[in-house]
Amino acid sequence: MSRFFAGSDSDSDSSSEEEIIQRPAVPAFTFSDDEEEVKRVVRSAKEKRYEELTNIIKQIRNYKKIKDMSSMLNSFEELQKAYQKAAPVIIKEENGQTPRFFIRCLSEMEDFINEMWEDREGRKNMSKNNSKSLTSMRQKLRKYLKDFEDDLSKFRENPEQPDDEEEEEKPDVELDSENEAPPKNQFLKTPAKQAVIDDKDESSDDDDDWPSDSDTSSTSTDDDEGKYSGKYNRKRFLKTAGPDHEVEDEDKAIRKEEKRKERKEKERRKIKKEDEEDGEGEWETVRGGVAIPSEKPKMFAKDAEIDLSLVIKKLSEIMAARGKKRTDRREQIELLHELQNVSEQHQLGSAIYIKIKLAIISGIFDYNPKVSDAMKPEYWVKLLERMSEMLSMLLNTSNLVVSETITEEMENLEEPPFRIRGCILTSVERLDDEFTKLLKECDPHSNEYVERLKDECKVSNIIDKTMKYLERTNVPSELCRIYLRKIEHLYYKFDPRVLQKKSGDSTAPKDEMTSVQEMEKLCKFIYAKDSTDRLRTRAILSHIYHHALHDNWFQARDLVLMSHLQETIQHSDPSTQILYNRMMAHLGLCAFRHANIKDAHNCLVDLMMTGKPKELLAQGLLPQRQHERSKEQEKIEKQRQMPFHMHINLELLECVYLVSAMLIEIPYMAAHEFDARRRMISKTFYQQLRSSERQSLVGPPESMREHVVAAAKAMRNGNWAACNNFIINEKMNAKVWDLFYQADQVRGMLTKLIKEESLRTYLFTYSHVYDSISMQILAEMFDLGKPVVHSIISKMIINEELMASLDDPTQTVVMHRSEPSRLQSLALQLADKINNFVDSNERILETKQGNFFLRGANQVNKGNFRGDRQNYRGSNNQNWDRQRRDRDRNREKDNY
Amino acid sequence: MAKFDLTPKMGQYLDRHLVFPLLEFLSAKGIYNETELLKAKLDILSKTNMIDYAIDIRKQLYPDDEIPDDLKQRRSHVVSQLQELQQEVEPILTVITDEEVMKNMESMRDSKTLINFLSKDYKFEIEMIDSLHKLAKYRYECGNYSVSTSYLYFCLLVLPPNDKNYLSVLWGKFASEILYQNWDSALEDLNKLREYIDSNPNQFSGNSLQLLQQRTWLIHWSLFVFFNHALGRELIIELFLYRPHYLNAIQTMCPHILRYLATAVIINRGRRSALKDLVKVIQQESYTYRDPITEFLEHLYVNFDFDGARQKLHECQTVLLNDFFLISCLDEFVENARLMIFETFCRIHQCISIGMLAEKLNMNPDEAECWIVNLIRNARLDAKIDSKLGHVVMGAQPLSPYQQLIEKIDSLSVRSETLCGLIDRKLRARTDIRWGNQDF
Repeated sequence: MSRFFAGSDSDSDSSSEEEIIQRPAVPAFTFSDDEEEVKRVVRSAKEKRYEELTNIIKQIRNYKKIKDMSSMLNSFEELQKAYQKAAPVIIKEENGQTPRFFIRCLSEMEDFINEMWEDREGRKNMSKNNSKSLTSMRQKLRKYLKDFEDDLSKFRENPEQPDDEEEEEKPDVELDSENEAPPKNQFLKTPAKQAVIDDKDESSDDDDDWPSDSDTSSTSTDDDEGKYSGKYNRKRFLKTAGPDHEVEDEDKAIRKEEKRKERKEKERRKIKKEDEEDGEGEWETVRGGVAIPSEKPKMFAKDAEIDLSLVIKKLSEIMAARGKKRTDRREQIELLHELQNVSEQHQLGSAIYIKIKLAIISGIFDYNPKVSDAMKPEYWVKLLERMSEMLSMLLNTSNLVVSETITEEMENLEEPPFRIRGCILTSVERLDDEFTKLLKECDPHSNEYVERLKDECKVSNIIDKTMKYLERTNVPSELCRIYLRKIEHLYYKFDPRVLQKKSGDSTAPKDEMTSVQEMEKLCKFIYAKDSTDRLRTRAILSHIYHHALHDNWFQARDLVLMSHLQETIQHSDPSTQILYNRMMAHLGLCAFRHANIKDAHNCLVDLMMTGKPKELLAQGLLPQRQHERSKEQEKIEKQRQMPFHMHINLELLECVYLVSAMLIEIPYMAAHEFDARRRMISKTFYQQLRSSERQSLVGPPESMREHVVAAAKAMRNGNWAACNNFIINEKMNAKVWDLFYQADQVRGMLTKLIKEESLRTYLFTYSHVYDSISMQILAEMFDLGKPVVHSIISKMIINEELMASLDDPTQTVVMHRSEPSRLQSLALQLADKINNFVDSNERILETKQGNFFLRGANQVNKGNFRGDRQNYRGSNNQNWDRQRRDRDRNREKDNY
Repeated sequence: MAKFDLTPKMGQYLDRHLVFPLLEFLSAKGIYNETELLKAKLDILSKTNMIDYAIDIRKQLYPDDEIPDDLKQRRSHVVSQLQELQQEVEPILTVITDEEVMKNMESMRDSKTLINFLSKDYKFEIEMIDSLHKLAKYRYECGNYSVSTSYLYFCLLVLPPNDKNYLSVLWGKFASEILYQNWDSALEDLNKLREYIDSNPNQFSGNSLQLLQQRTWLIHWSLFVFFNHALGRELIIELFLYRPHYLNAIQTMCPHILRYLATAVIINRGRRSALKDLVKVIQQESYTYRDPITEFLEHLYVNFDFDGARQKLHECQTVLLNDFFLISCLDEFVENARLMIFETFCRIHQCISIGMLAEKLNMNPDEAECWIVNLIRNARLDAKIDSKLGHVVMGAQPLSPYQQLIEKIDSLSVRSETLCGLIDRKLRARTDIRWGNQDF
């Protein structure tokens, strides 16, 4: 929707919503319209005219939405004509009362035109044609409206009410008209003569009906739809949309209420009757429910002899009401609880116990009518308790099978082996989903969230129990599902024992299974047994995440490379993509901890380059700008969000990214100062750097980004101490570095890297002012060991980055005066460019030649050429991909 | 030196019979306890039919014990079984011994015509091939490798490549050739086998695990050929480093093979370009496998730590000395490794003192000077020796920017000229619409 519309009054808004609802009906209408042209359709004159009108009105609304003024003008003119045609019918049948929907349309149009007119800014931007139409439209409309002034003013007094009514009814109407269709067709097949007669008959029938109509319709509206027979059609509703509406509405409301009560009474009676029919005795059903909620519902008469079949009967009775509109869901839950108590008191066995529990659980799930909203906390607590009770019961009784494959008839509750219909796995999965929803509902910084989070233990416990239970039956597909649930509760949790074990800490318990091992076990099962690709993908992603979290860099890397997920991930569902992004983020952090700066940068660059890591990691929505997304979209996106306790610290992520970008980019910049073909390695980092350079006055750094930028500047000058101080200080420690588990190691690694990269930058930048440098002095300057300096310089010489050589006896670096001067480097650049120029010339000629001479033969060649270039570009975009290709290890993941 | 011994790792991927040479070698070196080795040998023999050999080893192990009866029984059983099998394939055996026919057979185009020919003239039935295959296997188990080779050769001639036994026959032939130490035909078989595995992935019904396993086996078996055949040093680099499937197999299943690959690259002076790729692979796998040889390369080409490289070179010598495959190229290895150190050294230094160099190369100064003089004389180096100070001074100077510029622009005019020429011709072709001009 446009910006203009957002500000308009409620009328237009509601109309647009109406549009959405109406849409499905369109085919039905058009169908009959088309028919009209070819054959005679049996319809009353009124129906025909009105339909014509509504169609045009619909069109006008559409044009309004897209602001197509000229088409709107046309339609308006059509509307006028159509109304003229309809006028006799209206006079005849409605006593000259203008139909309300017509008035509504007029008033809406007036509002719209006025609004457009007043919006000068918008008018200027309009196309010429449109603005012309707007003016003429305005004039015409004004003239036309004069005829309807009375009706309009009446309409404006209460524009809202009738509208709602109409909307409520419309779907029904459409349904009816669809129902109607077949008989119509039958009519069509009969000879024309008869059709005429029928027509007459029907119309007269209709006429007879009209007077008595309003009574019946009001009672029947919310009642069974079946009452409508095909005879009635939409005209009736249009008629009821008259001025005498309000009274009717109230009337209806009262009747509704009555009806409901009546029905309830009936139900109760029915229950009673059934019970009596049982013939067990003269015990009476006591009604529980809304009317008297304080009173505890009683199940059976006091002296009734309660046995299994009775309870089962009662249960199925309660369950029969499930899902119906009128049933009180809370009452149902209470009834079920009561029933359970009864069965417990009489010790009817575990099977019926579990059966009732299953019913209670589904009852609680049902309690929340909306799928997207979380359930109420008190019900959540109940649900948890019931669930764990049921599972412990299940685990304790060995001769019991719960499965969805068991039909109602096959159920066996009386003697072992028990068989019950139901699916534990589904309800556990549902419970887990509800838990996530519940967490998302809470404010993450409140106590409430913490309280809820405490339930995580219980949920994990339930999943563990379910695992144990399912392992008993050992169905691979089900096991995979529950394992994945378990994995999803496990993968983001850090287990310090893993690192303790790795470092050979003797205090760590030896025989205990660490989470990494457990993960390994679960994932391997899924890799081997899973038949759906999705579970496997998710398992791999979680597995990598978990490895990365515990510093198992090589395992994580190999798993990524072996799985080849980066090629297919864009085809998977959003939540898997989010998991992939989260995995990449952690892989980047892990690479950083292992001092693999390049890998860290490559992992994170895709996340950071877009500037919206928050969204990519599903840790919050970006502030909305210019109605980028509709409400539905926002709702969906909200559902995808991660709960707060699983979030990855974004500042840490960004800092790691920027620091690794700095460590790569600064020496690179220094080395390629005059290079024309220098490419940016990290755009984000560049932006930060440039924006700080643009400032006339730079204060001491405050935020994390400012720190990194200041450090980068210091590094450019080869001042490693200053650089180090900017990166590692109190502030940055508190903000970022202390978030790592082994923060000191990371800091040590960083300092070392900063020294090395500063040395490289220094050599690149200042080598032209030296004739020779003593390595000893360099080592002192950068606080590095002499072998390290030697190794760094050797590497630079070998890679031809530094035009120098070592002089062994004196331990110095001797520079060759070959660093090009500014003029020389410019000349070199020019040469490069000319080279490119010639290249492209040759290429052009090649393609031309292909077109002219070797049309057939060269075609293939040309295609290849183009393909190559595309590939080249594609690989540029995906750093990680390219790297993989470099290494090109197509290990099969099965072998892992 | 048991630390760097790879026999236990290699053994998993080798045939029983192929492990024997390795064990023999180990017992000669005396790294392990002799009796343990003998026990291992006996263990291996117990599943083969080389009963006599087993009895010998038993005697060595337990000189006081009597030879158990079941061994004797087995011996007679083996002999009788052998005879039985031999009778089954009598017609084929006569064919094989007849050289004339064999020549004829080799000239046949495919297995079908061959089968027709054989069944017509020599009472041959296709079922016999199965028995022949069995017999070959039996002979092989008895340690009678040369006979088994000829039988299997016949099988290969007759069997179509999609036969279920074909792969097994290929492996059998390969193994027998290796054990018969017939390296030329072993190499031939190796190539056949490799082609078969690579080109028929469907044979393994898309089971990549099985495919990988086959490749791993091939990699291990091929070591015998590569380090004994003259061409092996080239081929090992080709196969292991530049065939992605095999490189993957090495990285996934057996990173210890990197030792052999690294050695092959080092001793192969012509393949310096492979070094870069190799170093990359070594770095990637450094967390799963490292030994002095890979570390030597890492020190030299990643860290430029010459002291470290020198130390590793020293360790390398002992490793090589104790490796069944590598012992033959020890001297070559040391020579080439020294040369590599020296070359790298020269590339980054302009002035080196001979004393220091000698120390780095594990030589005494006089020897080193002599060595360098030889290098210079062979025109591989642009360097001079300052005899008074004991320095080597490098002569090469890097390109000046001017030279660089010239180099870049050099080809431009030629290229542009050809371009112009092309356009000219094309223009002429367009204006000239005479017949017979289209063939341009």
